[in-house]
Amino acid sequence: MTSETLARVEAPAWLPGTLKIFKNIIRYASWGVLILAAAATVLPFVWMIGVSLRTPADLYADPARLWPGEWSVAGFHAVLTQLPFARLAFNTFVFAGGTTILLVFLDSLAGYALARLKFRGRQAIFIVILATLMVPFQVTIIPVFLTLFDLGWLNTFQGLIIPRATSALGIFMLRQFFRTLPAELDDAAHIDGANSFQIYWRIVLPLAKPALASLFVIQFMALWNDFLWPLVVSSTLDMRTLPSALTLFSSQSGVDHAALMAGAAISLAPLAVAFLVAQRFFVQGIATTGLK
Amino acid sequence: MRSPLRAPWKIAAVLTAGLLAVAGCGSGGDDGSADGVVQLSLWTGFTGPDRPAYESLVKQFNDTHPKIKVTMDVQPWDAIGQKLPGAWATGQGPDLATPNFDPGVLFTYAKTNSLLPLDEAAGDGDGKLNASLFPKAVTTAFTIDGKLYAAPANMATLVLYYNKAMLTEAGVSEPKTGDDLVAAAKKLTKMNGGKVTQYGISLADHATIQMWPILQWMNGGDIVDAKGCATVAEPASVQALQTWADLVAKDKVSPVGQTGADADTLFSAKKAAMEINGPWAAAGFKSAGIDLGIAAVPVGAGGPVTLASTVPLAIGKSTKHKAQALEFLAWWTGKTAQAAFSDASGFPPVRTDVTPTNPIVAPFAAQLPTARLYLPGLPTSAKIDTDVYVPLIGKITRGEPVGPAAQSAAEAINKITGCKP
Amino acid sequence: MTTATIPPATTRRRQRFNSAYLYVAPSLLLIGVFIAEPILRSGWMSLHDWTVGEDTHAWVGLGNYTELFGDERFRNALGVTGLYTVVVTAGQVLGGLALALWLRRTTWLTALLRSAFFFPTVASFAVVGVVWKFLLDPQVGLINGWLGEVGVTGPSWLADTGLALPTVMAVGIWKGVGFSMIVLLAALQGVPVPLMEAATLDGANRWQRLRAVTLPEIRPALLFTTVISTVTSLQLFDLVYVMTGGGPLFHTESIVTYLYQRGFVEFRLGYASAIAWVLFLLILAVSLIQLRIARSDDDQ
Repeated sequence: MTSETLARVEAPAWLPGTLKIFKNIIRYASWGVLILAAAATVLPFVWMIGVSLRTPADLYADPARLWPGEWSVAGFHAVLTQLPFARLAFNTFVFAGGTTILLVFLDSLAGYALARLKFRGRQAIFIVILATLMVPFQVTIIPVFLTLFDLGWLNTFQGLIIPRATSALGIFMLRQFFRTLPAELDDAAHIDGANSFQIYWRIVLPLAKPALASLFVIQFMALWNDFLWPLVVSSTLDMRTLPSALTLFSSQSGVDHAALMAGAAISLAPLAVAFLVAQRFFVQGIATTGLK
Repeated sequence: MRSPLRAPWKIAAVLTAGLLAVAGCGSGGDDGSADGVVQLSLWTGFTGPDRPAYESLVKQFNDTHPKIKVTMDVQPWDAIGQKLPGAWATGQGPDLATPNFDPGVLFTYAKTNSLLPLDEAAGDGDGKLNASLFPKAVTTAFTIDGKLYAAPANMATLVLYYNKAMLTEAGVSEPKTGDDLVAAAKKLTKMNGGKVTQYGISLADHATIQMWPILQWMNGGDIVDAKGCATVAEPASVQALQTWADLVAKDKVSPVGQTGADADTLFSAKKAAMEINGPWAAAGFKSAGIDLGIAAVPVGAGGPVTLASTVPLAIGKSTKHKAQALEFLAWWTGKTAQAAFSDASGFPPVRTDVTPTNPIVAPFAAQLPTARLYLPGLPTSAKIDTDVYVPLIGKITRGEPVGPAAQSAAEAINKITGCKP
Repeated sequence: MTTATIPPATTRRRQRFNSAYLYVAPSLLLIGVFIAEPILRSGWMSLHDWTVGEDTHAWVGLGNYTELFGDERFRNALGVTGLYTVVVTAGQVLGGLALALWLRRTTWLTALLRSAFFFPTVASFAVVGVVWKFLLDPQVGLINGWLGEVGVTGPSWLADTGLALPTVMAVGIWKGVGFSMIVLLAALQGVPVPLMEAATLDGANRWQRLRAVTLPEIRPALLFTTVISTVTSLQLFDLVYVMTGGGPLFHTESIVTYLYQRGFVEFRLGYASAIAWVLFLLILAVSLIQLRIARSDDDQ
């Protein structure tokens, strides 16, 4: 649906040149609108970075200004000195990374079976899994806490990671993607003597790279920023993640805005870079993977 | 046919091994006692600007008590509210905790038999919990069926903060009486073509330590009496609500529907001349560059009064280190600790026999004898607050008639508390 | 845990035991222990007058449910949540689709724009809430500041009873549109290029190609984003909690916010569980209907 194809197809040679110019104006204008919309979308983050570098007096003198009038690194200093920063960064990485790797693997297995294998109760299992999506976290929090205690997993990495290592969302998403792959692929592989796991590993997974990558990105980032779960599981600061530790800077009776925003900026920066880089994986088309 | 299976096996093995390694390095941290040092865990909700003062108090305790090590974990109140009930009820929680900023929750924890009564440790002298020296309002709020279940982790009173420059510019002097306050709020409100450019006072009505009850108390009104019967619709209360609702809705002396944070922002940004708030706000206002005046809450027909807030610090019934936990409580509320804490935090001390040396504490401490708690001694305080009181203020500041609103609020309160008037 | 999922001997034992179960077993185990069991437990609690930690809990049968249906505040929360869900789901899915179509090809510019639109998805609510409250502050916020410069007096976005919910909805769409966008982007990569080229050669215009080729091809992903948007919107909590706390005067109080109030502020877990179960059944019904509608041509 790009503009090049449009121009080629819908503006045949007999059209007057003025119409072409008109179309170009619309084209550039609509891109302009899109760029403006994107700018509006990130505006809160620009403001956030601004606040992280301002003194309170400067912030309150004109909170509507995007950029500091008086610069200060006190916020960053607070995050780096008041929190065990290296430990928190490590925890965040282990929690988000470890959980996501496990999650994508387990979800792809389940999604594959639900989409492409035939077994008794398949539909029922799918609906049960789907149903667990419908449960608000607030409902399960007390029982899960008690279960983690019984397992001795409170304040441990396995307690942080394992309960989150599968997700109904991921299973559902991958099932939907796996279903769009042609059934003939399986049939052909079966004839070649491949078993279901080989089909999964060698045919389905490579074809689902864009879906796997986008699931990875979605989950990694969601887990990276999840602050309530680590607060529930951990009971010491050195088992927290960065976003959950940042809650220390705000309360009803006052917020250290510079520190909170500095912490948020530090925590979001790697994600921004990672997303920019990761894009080529999830928008890498089937066309380039050699099929079709 | 075998080779393609190798890769996934390897990955699975690496994953499992990695997970186990990670699990191994995460476990540990035994709560028992090693080398005769007793480990006590303490959960508090003191995030925000006053956190360092509590941390240094804990450190001071650990330094002076080599046989006990208290580890304080600070987390948001919400996280504590969701973890603690289950944890304590099943005997798995921390030794000590501040369950909520609202003493009303003590009823729930007492009902589930989660709290250790403190009476046996109470008494006079060092090493004892000097409960008789806590402000009366506090011990009353922490006592259920004759048993004391908590000690005050802190104590604060609300004062009137004002922007000196704005008062000087408007020729207004520090308000001393209820009428002064009304006049000042009006005079300090500046309009420009129907748009308010400066508010007289910054009032919050939700997500805050309540300030509206003070306006009612000043006039001799109240919300609910000791028996749990509503008094919010009585004349003195309705009159006060009417005055202030008109000031907000008609004279626009304050924006409508602010949270505590909104109200602080407004005052910090020099868009409001006055705000009623606690000691925790002072440092923030000063760093925002306000030339800050601090005064006692003005005195109205109801005599001198302000609102007190206190956070209960309780011991979990299932603690294995009862003696040490009690010792910690006694020390925390003791003379030395309170003098140090008051100096560091700007909060008034929780006991009446400590004279604070930090001059900023004086106005807060001076009001302690006349300070009252919001909805004290009611197991249903949280419900009355969110279901009745916050909506009442929200309605009348948006122009609903005060009389009928107060009347239906009174009925709702009586229904919740079970009072038959 | 992971090793159990690899079925090395499937070919040998194919007839005796369907290895397909091994693929779903690990996920089912985790879901069972950490989600299904708690929800069943809460179903049991909903039949009692239950306070955490009390030794005995009075059996009330369906008492909590009958109370719930007469509860005005619950009905209000249902209405708020329903309206929010319809508007925000439509906004997120249609917005996400438009963005995905527009930013389909990868250039440095589209890569940058995609990042911009996706970014709100990953910021934590704790931070987003603080930021938006400042930006929307009626007196000192950026938005009213800019409106003031063009001569418009901005309203109190979050304190006005009529504007609070629309404002929260707008932030909800802002927060979630990037999710739909990247799911649909990934799906669009699966639309066979030859099919598009064939349609183009047949003289199909932009809309015809979209309707005849693209949309049918990405239907499963569209269904997925719609269901997920609906489910997460029906569970609306964080956004309201950090931005309005359910106010002003309950105009933004969602079902889960109300559940939180009853369960964790007043500790009435039995009643809160009843709310949870009504919500659970409601969401289940809505998403099964959505799946059923899509099913006629979706099923293999």
